[in-house]
Amino acid sequence: MSDAGAAPALRVDGLHKAFGEHVAANRVSLTVQPGSFYGLVGPNGAGKTTTLSMAVGLQRPDAGRSLVFGVDVWRDPLAAKRLMGVLPDGLALPERLTGRELLTYLGTLSGLDPATVERRASELLDVMELSGSAERTLVIDYSTGMRKKIGLASALLHGPRLLVLDEPFEAVDPVSAATLKNILRRFVAGGGAVLLSSHVMALVEQLCDTVAVMAGGVVAAEGPLDEVRGGRTLEEAFVELVGADVSGGEGLSWLGS
Amino acid sequence: MVGVLIRMKLAVMRHSSTDERQIWMTSGATAGLVAAGLTIWFATYDISRPAALMDLLAAVFAMWAFGWIAAPVWGGQAPLRAEHFAHHPVPRVRLAAGLLAASLVGIGAGVTVVGFGALIVFGARLGIVPALVAVPALVLQLALVVLLSRLAARLFGALSRSRTGAAITGVLTAVLLVASQAGWIVFIAVEAVLATGFSPGVSAVLRALPSSWGLVAVEAAARSDWAVVAAALLGLAVGLVLLTLLWGRLLGPGRLARSVVRGSDRSRRIPSRPVTAVYLKELRTWRRDPLRVQGLVVAPVFAVLTGLVPLAFGSTAFLPYAGVLAALLGAVGSANLYGQDGTALWLTLLRPGTERADVRGRQLGWLTVFGPLSLGLTVVGGLWHGDPDAWPWALASVTAALGAGAGLVPLLAVDQLVPGPDPHRNRDSPLDHGDVTGLSFVMLFLAITAASPALAVVAAGEAMDSPALRWTGVAAGVGLGAVCAWAFGARAARRLRERGPELLYLMRSGKPVTPPEEETEQAAAPIPAARQAILWTLFFVGVIALFPQGLVPLVMKLSGEIARVWFLALHLPDPWQWPTVIAMILLGLTSLTLCVHLYRRSTARPRPPATP
Repeated sequence: MSDAGAAPALRVDGLHKAFGEHVAANRVSLTVQPGSFYGLVGPNGAGKTTTLSMAVGLQRPDAGRSLVFGVDVWRDPLAAKRLMGVLPDGLALPERLTGRELLTYLGTLSGLDPATVERRASELLDVMELSGSAERTLVIDYSTGMRKKIGLASALLHGPRLLVLDEPFEAVDPVSAATLKNILRRFVAGGGAVLLSSHVMALVEQLCDTVAVMAGGVVAAEGPLDEVRGGRTLEEAFVELVGADVSGGEGLSWLGS
Repeated sequence: MVGVLIRMKLAVMRHSSTDERQIWMTSGATAGLVAAGLTIWFATYDISRPAALMDLLAAVFAMWAFGWIAAPVWGGQAPLRAEHFAHHPVPRVRLAAGLLAASLVGIGAGVTVVGFGALIVFGARLGIVPALVAVPALVLQLALVVLLSRLAARLFGALSRSRTGAAITGVLTAVLLVASQAGWIVFIAVEAVLATGFSPGVSAVLRALPSSWGLVAVEAAARSDWAVVAAALLGLAVGLVLLTLLWGRLLGPGRLARSVVRGSDRSRRIPSRPVTAVYLKELRTWRRDPLRVQGLVVAPVFAVLTGLVPLAFGSTAFLPYAGVLAALLGAVGSANLYGQDGTALWLTLLRPGTERADVRGRQLGWLTVFGPLSLGLTVVGGLWHGDPDAWPWALASVTAALGAGAGLVPLLAVDQLVPGPDPHRNRDSPLDHGDVTGLSFVMLFLAITAASPALAVVAAGEAMDSPALRWTGVAAGVGLGAVCAWAFGARAARRLRERGPELLYLMRSGKPVTPPEEETEQAAAPIPAARQAILWTLFFVGVIALFPQGLVPLVMKLSGEIARVWFLALHLPDPWQWPTVIAMILLGLTSLTLCVHLYRRSTARPRPPATP
């Protein structure tokens, strides 16, 4: 355990993925320290999802490796995956279960004993406001916010030390988002590490202490939040780093006339 | 409006045209033209008894109308849908009329015009005036069936959102499957109908159907009964207007709400082992998912109907085998088990070591759902049939088929996964899925092949006239089933462990991983058009030779209840019958083997050098 304590929570080292001609992630390296709240930002198609999928073992990289507290995700998947909780963006769940049934199923699959499964499932459902009137709703009928919450609950269920979350706030209403933020802040305060991807700059500025900016499959900048934004807002720094032209100023003269 | 919609429909069709689609369209149009030709040919039959001929034509027109109504179950959505225009400021009735006009442009409507030409042929044989009356009648009748089809599509769409609706579409699917298998019965009946007509009651009902009103008008014109002519044509026109208005009203968004399945309030049962957790999840999914409910209904309904059809000529010989059919159809319907769950596979990937539990739990779930059902059907069918000689065959085949199915379901689902929409992305059309036609016949063929050694033991017992050996066949069926379920399941778990990320990628992106140099296998690639034509030909030759020309006469000869119908072997002199049956079975098996071989080569190349 002392080894694991000294190692970064997540070290992504030269992960590379190409689909034919298109390089989705180009030798990406990131380091997430224990106890840090790490934001990965980038425009659509920057390679965030591909990078995170490779880092957690859902997509096989062409090259590079990913270490969770020093354990290689692709060499020793069982040990590595026990240490982390993952919330991918937009993937299916066992849709015809209720929230409680889903957590019970996943808890048992993770090898927790029945008493622990029951206690944790109840607590998580209460905290996520998915108990009570939502108790009999199947996951397929959940709203986007509820899906993100049950996704986070299932990522937390087995007590991981690293959370990897792909767009956790995408299309989530402000009330659910506030709940999610509180839980994540508590998780970090308790010594856990969070890596989340987003393209909402304000949110990343509000939550994260470390950020990395990705564009076109490469990491354009990585470091403490203040260092990366360098006295500007993160949005200004981002637009400059990504080198995008902001359009929308010309044409459309008929609009609203 | 109409012009815009027609141009838009043609553009959509042009952009969604793939090789595979073109093959389907060409073969569909050919089959449709053959049906249209037959319909016209019927109209040229002996007219000495016009009433009998009219009965026949009324029945055929009713079949056309039924075909149009049922078409959305197979063909899926029309290219232009009212939902596309939900937010455009267009009056609904105008939209309905425009969409109806656009529906009339297409292969289906073209083929139907040719078929309905039978009405003009029929009229011309009765005189010039009836022929003239037939022209507006044809136009009205065509618009009517097209409109009925669009309304049915709307209804099926709404139905499929609930489990009851899914069950209804399941029954319809099974009935259509049986009808397409048992179409020969219709041909036996044609001669009888022409000779005597239908019974007065059936005849009256048939003529009362709106699809017959055109015929009624034409026939009345021949008798100069102008009141009936006017009533029939006006009836069609008024019906058309009313249906258009109704359709216009239904065009608004979200009129028929999705029915929501509720979970149990306090499902506090905490499983202690991963395999139990998967098993419970599977049972709940079988109960709650419309797509699974549909599969669950198709299998027994198809099996029971297939067993019952031969009762038309007094044979119960098929009834003991209803159980085997249910097991086989159950396996076919579940062949894309992982694909149906969509990207939920990521949860298994994040829990290494649970792949085995996942496969075993699914197998147990499948057996729980289809096992008692198939065995029950076998027992009931066997008791009804009453011939003790049928028991070893029926029991050996049903146990072997269940075991083979339980093993092949996860194996093929992993090996030949067909990506489809994620369940949460098509909540409002839960029966949508990827094209599993190819996968279905691979499953059918492999399940029959895997189960057949048990039948060989029974056949040996039959040949040596040894009851002990025949009943050993049942034990062989049980043993073989257990081995298949265990071994295929183990292999499925191994594949899942080795290729999990690639399967997830396939489901996520809808296409297989582009193979780097050491990559040996992909799960599914589009099949070139020419190869697909060969594939289908082999498949149809194989199925016809194996089932109706091989196994059916075999069962008949064994049971002694012989109805010759169109079974080649039974029309030949006695010494030639057995060789013909065997030749047909061999031809069928060879065609199907080639077909599967080609299919696998097309979808999974290059193959690894040798993985057992």
